[in-house]
Amino acid sequence: MPADQTIAVNLIQKVANQDRDAFGQLYDRFSSLVFALAMRMLRVRSDAEDLLQEVFVQIWRQAQSYSVQRGSPEAWIINIARSRAIDKIRSIRRMEKSFVLTDDPARAESGENVESSAAESEARMAMNSALANLPETQRKVLELAYFDGLTQTEIANRLAEPLGTIKTRMRSGIQRLRDMLGTQAV
Amino acid sequence: MATGHEHWHERGEIYALGALDGQELKEFEAHLASGCSICEAYLHETRETLAVLHRSLRPEAPPLAIKARIMDQIAPQTMTHPRQERAGWLNWNWWGLGIGVATAAVALVLSSNLTRTQSDLEKAKQQLAAAQVESAQKDELLQLLSSPNIRLIELKGLEAAPAASAKLIWNPVARSGILLTNGLPKTPTDKAYELWGIAGTEPIPAGVFRVNDQGQARFRMPVLGQGKTFDKFAVTLEPAAGVEQPSGPMVLLGTL
Repeated sequence: MPADQTIAVNLIQKVANQDRDAFGQLYDRFSSLVFALAMRMLRVRSDAEDLLQEVFVQIWRQAQSYSVQRGSPEAWIINIARSRAIDKIRSIRRMEKSFVLTDDPARAESGENVESSAAESEARMAMNSALANLPETQRKVLELAYFDGLTQTEIANRLAEPLGTIKTRMRSGIQRLRDMLGTQAV
Repeated sequence: MATGHEHWHERGEIYALGALDGQELKEFEAHLASGCSICEAYLHETRETLAVLHRSLRPEAPPLAIKARIMDQIAPQTMTHPRQERAGWLNWNWWGLGIGVATAAVALVLSSNLTRTQSDLEKAKQQLAAAQVESAQKDELLQLLSSPNIRLIELKGLEAAPAASAKLIWNPVARSGILLTNGLPKTPTDKAYELWGIAGTEPIPAGVFRVNDQGQARFRMPVLGQGKTFDKFAVTLEPAAGVEQPSGPMVLLGTL
């Protein structure tokens, strides 16, 4: 296990014993990552700040449920953040009775928006070699699911493609990432 | 890949993305709930692969006030003891009370031994965890020191703390580093030291930390955002939650 990960695992174990100093250190390590993800997914700074707070309070309360068998600390924390962000996105979407949240100009052009606009994020992604090497069609479906919280059916509707095509693109995209990153399926 | 699970793995990958829905979602969640360790492991592995997506984002430091808000929200839980039942006492006869006292005394001794054993075990666990953390921190320091990109910056004590000194191991590519301090005055309970990266005349907050009785700290700074080129680093004494702009006395300063 990399040194960084060992430290994070130990911090979570201490947080499970209600160690506030360890919690502070865990926050320092991961808050920038969680906040960037929250900004990308929710696109409104105040929402992203609320999400960050909720995520870390949940970590404080549920640290004892973490084990290394559940993945790396980073993957565990990001999974908590994504789940909560997706809940928020879908709740807003239900309220708006629309599946076009990311095209909503009121949110997209919100005044408290967002140093990392979608365009900037995409530019950064384009620089990331693993993502840049994905075919555009695969990258698009992965982003719509991962960052915009769309389900496979919603993506199929939005892109006007058959559901089967979307599933295939998602799986092919993940497989290609695996190949590029050298990770091995179980 | 394990055979016979391809069907579930297809769904697991889409589940890891958060995109599975409808009947497929219900069936996959039921399958997971049945305790399938193969799918559980596959799901974790897929999430690790997908981490490349959020890592492609530029890390963005949240406002310092949020940390203070969270720390307030997670007020330390105090250990509470179950309330003693008093009704039993009222019903005891005197002879019963004698037996009760003797039993309680034995229980107290046993309980005391048990508590001591548990306490020893807990202490040993804590020592082991501390040793693991220390070892991992040393590994991390070595890893950082062996990076070709690092810069070593000496920070000197200023008038407010002339005996203090610090070294910052700064990686301008990763935009993070480790600060090692010595001889800083102990921080009052409502204060903390705050590290700043200074780009020209603009200070950028780089995290708050406290020191031990010797004024020492080993502080891993958060990843700082892109777009600023730092030419100095400084430490000021600030309110414990940290501030967005320096307001307290500067105690350490170093130039790249």
